Amino acid sequence: MKQRSYSNVRLLAAMAAVLGLSTLSASAMHIAEGYLPKTWAFGWMAVCVPFVVAGFLSIRKKVERSPRAKVLLAMCGAFAFVLSALKIPSVTGSCSHPTGVGLGAILFGPTATTILGLIVLLFQALLLAHGGLTTLGANLFSMAIVGPIVSWAVYMALKKAGVKPAAAVFCAAALGDLLTYVTTSFQLGVVYGNVAEYLTIFAVTQVPLAIAEGLLTVVVFNVLEKYSAAELRELSVL
Amino acid sequence: MGTDRYAYLSRLRRVDPVAKVWVSLAVLLLCLFSESIAVGLVTLAVMSVLNVALGGQRTGTVLRFMKVPLAFLVIGCLTIVLRPIPAEEPALWAVWLFGRFRWGITLTWLHMGLMVFCKAMGAISAMYFLALNTPMTDLILALERLHVPKLLVELMELIYRFIFVLMDTAGRIRVAQESRLGYGSFRKSLDHMGDLVSLVFLRAWRKGDKVYTALESRGYDGSLTTLSAAYTGGGRVYAWGAAAAALQVVTLLLERRLLP
Repeated sequence: MKQRSYSNVRLLAAMAAVLGLSTLSASAMHIAEGYLPKTWAFGWMAVCVPFVVAGFLSIRKKVERSPRAKVLLAMCGAFAFVLSALKIPSVTGSCSHPTGVGLGAILFGPTATTILGLIVLLFQALLLAHGGLTTLGANLFSMAIVGPIVSWAVYMALKKAGVKPAAAVFCAAALGDLLTYVTTSFQLGVVYGNVAEYLTIFAVTQVPLAIAEGLLTVVVFNVLEKYSAAELRELSVL
Repeated sequence: MGTDRYAYLSRLRRVDPVAKVWVSLAVLLLCLFSESIAVGLVTLAVMSVLNVALGGQRTGTVLRFMKVPLAFLVIGCLTIVLRPIPAEEPALWAVWLFGRFRWGITLTWLHMGLMVFCKAMGAISAMYFLALNTPMTDLILALERLHVPKLLVELMELIYRFIFVLMDTAGRIRVAQESRLGYGSFRKSLDHMGDLVSLVFLRAWRKGDKVYTALESRGYDGSLTTLSAAYTGGGRVYAWGAAAAALQVVTLLLERRLLP
């Protein structure tokens, strides 16, 4: 009996290692092309439509008010792409990539982030094969809609409650990140009926990453506050 | 970067991008909708061969790109195959975890996992037919012809250009930091990464400002208009696409026939 439970533990550990390590790889955050069945793929796209339309209208209003906004928004989009290509230091020693969800949402607001996210995800799908065309809806929903809205809401609520800015930024980024992972594992799990399995894998591997990204976002904000208060005011973050 | 480097070398580069978009999408959707192992494998084979034979890509390039989504797919399909199963259900292989949970592989889920894997590989190879043969700038201009809103198209054009500028900036800062003993410990990594990210953001913002000033001094009125390149007609691509689609349909019908 004892022998068997040992072998079980070993099996479980090996499984956790295999599953865990590869979720840390860059493309793992994005649901690959063709993984979702048609109903789910198009369902998630339909869910995204109102958010994309709202984002598009808000961006158009901004651009109409000042044409400079278009160039600056484009820079922000390119920044989001580059950010997701950087390696983030992780507590466990392995490397992953920041999602930039929290930073983007706090800097540009959730509606603009949706549109920038749409373009960045399309580029990632075609250029790097991270994600895909038919899974664009699902990826957009987790990374450019749920994550940013959560981050932004947390940041605004904590700021209003008078929490220290650093703490507010940390909570916003870490929670936005975490909710993005939870949404992704839900999207993956609900199709084949193993949500719990995915959530366990994600909880083990992604919680440290969410914390690392939260810390990183705080550092970024401190530097930005020190050197570019004018730009932040223009973005109406401060 | 990525597939773009190879798209510029493709023999189909001058072919109308709209044709490549429709063919890729049609094959991709057929593969997705048929939900069968055989169709997935056929799509994978046909589209990879088209990439090599029609697009003139090296076999090694295509294979290397096919490996990119493999990590995700293997994990994704393993979690479909290996799952908790009820005690009374017959299984190909099963194990009791802590004497309480029964984990294992059943025939239905093994089939499901294989199907998802083959379907996804087929879909990805169809997407690569677009990505490996169409440079992003051509694709963005094609989107405008497909009535994507002008604002979005312009944003895409600008973002695509700025990505390279910012990648370069980030790469240089990283080298500078590392040559000064940066990223030594976890704590330092966080600090240095923070410096890097915020500096890239600052530079992006200021560069955006400068670009706007430069545009305005050249008569910018809120929209960037460019001429699209001259393309050759997409007849041949459409024909090959139709052949690929026909092969997919035949495979699907044959499979339905042979495997009830």
